[in-house]
Amino acid sequence: MSPIIKRRGEEFTLPSKYLLFILTLLCIGTIVITFNTNLFTGPLNSFAGIFVVPFQKGITTVGTYMRETSDKLSSITKLLEENERLKKEIDELTIQNTTLEQEKYELTELRNMYQLDGPYEQYEKVGARIIAKDAGNWYHSFVIDKGSDDGLAIDMNVMANGALVGRIIDVGPDWAKVQSIIADNASVSGMVLASSDNLIVSGDLELYKQGFIRFSKLVDDVDKVSIGDKVVTSNISDKYLPGILIGYISTIDDDSNNLTKSGTITPAVDFEHMNVVLVLLELKKDIGD
Amino acid sequence: MNIRRVIYNFILVLVSFILQTTVFRALDFGDIAPNLMIIVVASTGFIKGDRSGLVIGFFSGLLIDIFFGTYIGFFALIYMYIGFIVGKFHEIFFSQSIAIPIVFITIADFLFGFICYILMFLFRNKFNIGYYMMSNIIPEMVYTALIAIFFYPVILHMNNRLDEREERNAKKFV
Repeated sequence: MSPIIKRRGEEFTLPSKYLLFILTLLCIGTIVITFNTNLFTGPLNSFAGIFVVPFQKGITTVGTYMRETSDKLSSITKLLEENERLKKEIDELTIQNTTLEQEKYELTELRNMYQLDGPYEQYEKVGARIIAKDAGNWYHSFVIDKGSDDGLAIDMNVMANGALVGRIIDVGPDWAKVQSIIADNASVSGMVLASSDNLIVSGDLELYKQGFIRFSKLVDDVDKVSIGDKVVTSNISDKYLPGILIGYISTIDDDSNNLTKSGTITPAVDFEHMNVVLVLLELKKDIGD
Repeated sequence: MNIRRVIYNFILVLVSFILQTTVFRALDFGDIAPNLMIIVVASTGFIKGDRSGLVIGFFSGLLIDIFFGTYIGFFALIYMYIGFIVGKFHEIFFSQSIAIPIVFITIADFLFGFICYILMFLFRNKFNIGYYMMSNIIPEMVYTALIAIFFYPVILHMNNRLDEREERNAKKFV
């Protein structure tokens, strides 16, 4: 004989289809608002900074530490061999270094002659650690552990291994979101270093799995651009600082309009194994003059 | 919804989001990470019904939007509808066995991938659906189903304990 359990006072509940309808309208509203303005970024970003980022930082630190420890243990034997090899390499490199010193002197001379700015060594940089990657598998954005408190701002360029990774598209007090150039929704205005021809570099999910990114709109009537040429960010980009290495051309095809060329670029950064990035603390719009 | 359940769900969503963006990103196979959020949303919908499913879906999606979305509300909308639709099956199927919810989670993840493809790629003239299917949607689905086999019982167990406690509290007030 079970007693009839009476719930304490039937609470008023909204039927779920109405709730769905209301929330749908709310979502559409916020999509429209964020499409046109950036009203929400402030409060939501600080929410993220309080609740999520500290954990991501902690877990990533622990994860990196564990990976490093296991790597250390497994690589002692390898290190001994490598040590031998490296010693030989040092000798070779010393010779190379001397020649390079000479070339560098020549380069500075030439630069002075052309009054070119030096490459990106002169920009102020800050290192940051990647603490989280995109929740989905479609785009390649990630979160780093420095934010506006460290002087970061939207549109600052991000580099790793001396080459372009992407740019900051969202910033919170102690975190920033970076959109990488290999993301399917990203494109960069680039330039072939050898011939100064402009082209558009755009990420492509399909090609990225094979290790390439796409380029298009290369105007090159005289066939000066060849495979292996360096591609850097161009001077006409409004977001990216000029002269940052993007990658090397790996294939070139003629477009069907016979005017432009397109093809693929091998990016210079290993996006798969990237843990630490450098943020250039300078905005393109500020260095214009 | 009492306060205990709200806190439990908040922590569940937060933990899965953090795991998905950190640990499982490190444990990815061929750059594909499992979708823990779908597991949470679909399981909650399946265990508790359409109402809980859509609320959890809304907040999980919102969390992803804050961090990785271009527009706030985009993923919230998708996750909310998935939670709602899976929740509709709550009354039809028995949630204690493991096989049926796993099938639903798998279908939900496939649906999610497909919607993402349509909204983010097809609309930008990327028509090679076969490629995206084989390289992204299907691998993610399989990986998610694999993780769900371990994750769903945890969610179910926690939920049953909360249910028991709620029932006991309700009895006290008779």
